[in-house]
Amino acid sequence: MSDTHLNKQLDDYMDGTLDDAETLALDAHVDSCNTCRQTVESEQHLRGLLKDFPVPAPDTAYFDQALAKASHVSTNGQRNRWVMTGFGGAIAAGLVAWVIGGVLLQTPDPTDTAADIPGVTMVLEEPRTVNLVFSSATALDGAVLTVNLPAGIEIEGFEGLQEITWMTSLQAGKNILPLRLIATTSQGGELLARLDHDDRDRTFRIRVSVS
Amino acid sequence: MDNSDQNRSVTFERLLKPHLERLYRFAYRLTGSKAEAEDLFQDVLAKLFDKLDDLVKVEEPGSWASRVLYNHFIDNQRRFARQRLISVDEGQLPPGGVDSIPGADSPEHNAERLDDIVRLDKALAELSDEHRIVVLLHDSEGYKLKEIQEITGDPVGTIKSRLHRARARLRELLSAGGTF
Repeated sequence: MSDTHLNKQLDDYMDGTLDDAETLALDAHVDSCNTCRQTVESEQHLRGLLKDFPVPAPDTAYFDQALAKASHVSTNGQRNRWVMTGFGGAIAAGLVAWVIGGVLLQTPDPTDTAADIPGVTMVLEEPRTVNLVFSSATALDGAVLTVNLPAGIEIEGFEGLQEITWMTSLQAGKNILPLRLIATTSQGGELLARLDHDDRDRTFRIRVSVS
Repeated sequence: MDNSDQNRSVTFERLLKPHLERLYRFAYRLTGSKAEAEDLFQDVLAKLFDKLDDLVKVEEPGSWASRVLYNHFIDNQRRFARQRLISVDEGQLPPGGVDSIPGADSPEHNAERLDDIVRLDKALAELSDEHRIVVLLHDSEGYKLKEIQEITGDPVGTIKSRLHRARARLRELLSAGGTF
């Protein structure tokens, strides 16, 4: 039995969905083939990681509170903040910095001259991840982040949209939002990110060039 | 709250409480963020309470609730784009996309495990939403293909194909990164 054969049946073999005869044949093959045995071991490792891929547990009282709130919210006709929310708290100073390719750049400011604005160079039609790093002294619940893209720059998965809005909560410390950008033209331009919280907002710029 | 409201709340709790943890985990798998998962979960509980008259009639409230949650997520994901806003400690750049790591008995093992999980998180971020959701539901949460079909409404063949492609892409990404 060739390794290709095992690779074709790897998922079914690991999922245990093959019939007994096929399973026994592959068991025997894996026992005698180092390459296939390593493939199976790698797959077991991947499956183990996926199985353990963490879900942060909510607070112990969260479920009881959520149930109580659900009936209260429903009774009172209130809308949930995932759809519409009010803001509380205040934006901490020095809120946003940019990280491009893992390198932390200086926090830009709207009044910076063009030369001060951090930049990233894209290759046409080649996706690149740009990480936005938000540092906040305190947790911010219900902040709204709006990203305005220059013409010819898109976020993967949201093709054709020039403005995208997220509603999010920031934790105290650094919070990172990876944006997967794609340049569809060689035009480039300025990408703006605005963070609104309470009645305050800050806008930051990044220069996008396309090679 | 009068007696009628109280009775409804008690019924609601009795029907849903056994399924809350699974429902919450499902919300987290869809959103990839604790804050968003809590908001989505809370939003859907309010919606389910409004549908209590229907909920009492269904045979499997957990599956039914999962469908409502999934549909609500799909209906809203364009308005509030799925985000992976990750909290990290100072000096931990570039980020690891995890909030906690299961098991705390061996620091060396945990450090290695953390590295692998951070790489896995990055690889998962490279997948399309539909591929990431199906692999997380099946391989992380243990949903059967049939259960995913009941939730998403997609044919089992389509789900199986997505799962196959998602795993193949993960293998490719993790092999390229030297994880496996």
